[in-house]
Amino acid sequence: MSDKRDLLKSNIDSLLLCLITGQPMYGYQIIKELENRSHGYFKFKEGTLYPALHRLEKNGLIEGKWQILDNGQQRKYYHITEMGYAKLAEKRSHWNEYFNAMNLIIQAD
Amino acid sequence: MSTIIDEYLNNVKSNLRMEAPAENEVLTELYTHIEDEFQELKNNGLMDDEAASTCIRFLGSAKTVARLIYEAHSQGSWRQALMASLPHLLFGLIFLLNWWQGIGPVLITLIAILSITVYGWWHKKSTWLFPWLGYSLLPVVIAGLSMLYLPRGFAWLAIVVYLPMALWLIFRVVSQTIKKDWVYISLMLLPMPVIISWFIVTEWRYGVNMDSIMSVSYQSWIGASFMALACGVISFVRIRRRWLKVTVLFMTGIITLALIYFYTWGQLSFVNLLLLILLLVSIFLVPAMLENGVRSGKWGKIFEHRPMSR
Repeated sequence: MSDKRDLLKSNIDSLLLCLITGQPMYGYQIIKELENRSHGYFKFKEGTLYPALHRLEKNGLIEGKWQILDNGQQRKYYHITEMGYAKLAEKRSHWNEYFNAMNLIIQAD
Repeated sequence: MSTIIDEYLNNVKSNLRMEAPAENEVLTELYTHIEDEFQELKNNGLMDDEAASTCIRFLGSAKTVARLIYEAHSQGSWRQALMASLPHLLFGLIFLLNWWQGIGPVLITLIAILSITVYGWWHKKSTWLFPWLGYSLLPVVIAGLSMLYLPRGFAWLAIVVYLPMALWLIFRVVSQTIKKDWVYISLMLLPMPVIISWFIVTEWRYGVNMDSIMSVSYQSWIGASFMALACGVISFVRIRRRWLKVTVLFMTGIITLALIYFYTWGQLSFVNLLLLILLLVSIFLVPAMLENGVRSGKWGKIFEHRPMSR
């Protein structure tokens, strides 16, 4: 269980950037999308999502924009930035290298 | 929704320690999240109270959420760290390069400090402003110390006029600062024990007159103490965790006082040393107590305590 939590913790930025690449999303939507796409494997401690989003925003990788809905509710939608795209490409490349190297060892038997 | 959610958001707010606009954004975002989750849980058949407590459980401890969000915002850039340390660096250089004996460099530095402080205050550049604010209060402190040497009669008159003005100015600065975080008041006032220490050392060794002050030979120690303050402030701005920020600030004060005590090697009287340590401790304790009073509502009206708004 703690291995799974560590994996999520160390890859949280990549996961969030990947999700937001497809379309702008708000916090609650991100959590649901992550759970659905991973078939329940990634279940976020919801309170840790917003610090991660704010950190990415502060680093310029995503940008938050407020929208006022018809019912008066305000939602902050997050968009990926150019810097975010570049960072995601870099992380994808590192992940593929890591994944291939792990497969070579783990699947060798 | 329910009081349990209001209580949760109030707990987050009281631990966030951010500027008001940013704080309101965070709380609105969390509130919206809770609203969405609450609705989904109710649609799944949960009662109001159960849905509300489930939302809170899913989010996690209010204190932890607030701390993590604070840490996501708390680290200043290297540029901001340099800006914040600049007044200490300037004073350090003035003494290390022996420029302090010329009125020109000192005057230019003081004018620069006052100008940049006004600019920073006007444009709400709170990340690096506080050390500059501390130095702009320096003339107030020097005026107060100088009054100790006025002839009789004048001293009392000056104190009656000076003290209310000085206290009003310090109160105005503190009341603005306390809205953000008490630790910034400590950051602002950190050079004061150092400056007062050197004043005491100079008075003990040379007396207070221009000829004797010009013959001061320990300017490199004075410069080093300001450089130590600069290093402490750079670390403060760059560190994320709040408890570590407070620790670094306090240790910076202790190290600079130790530097001064080491230079005087026990000749600074025990009473003076004790008073200086008490002064250092008070620039941490008093703001913390003030903020506690504001947050608990005791001094809410005086310091314009903000009710939670979404």
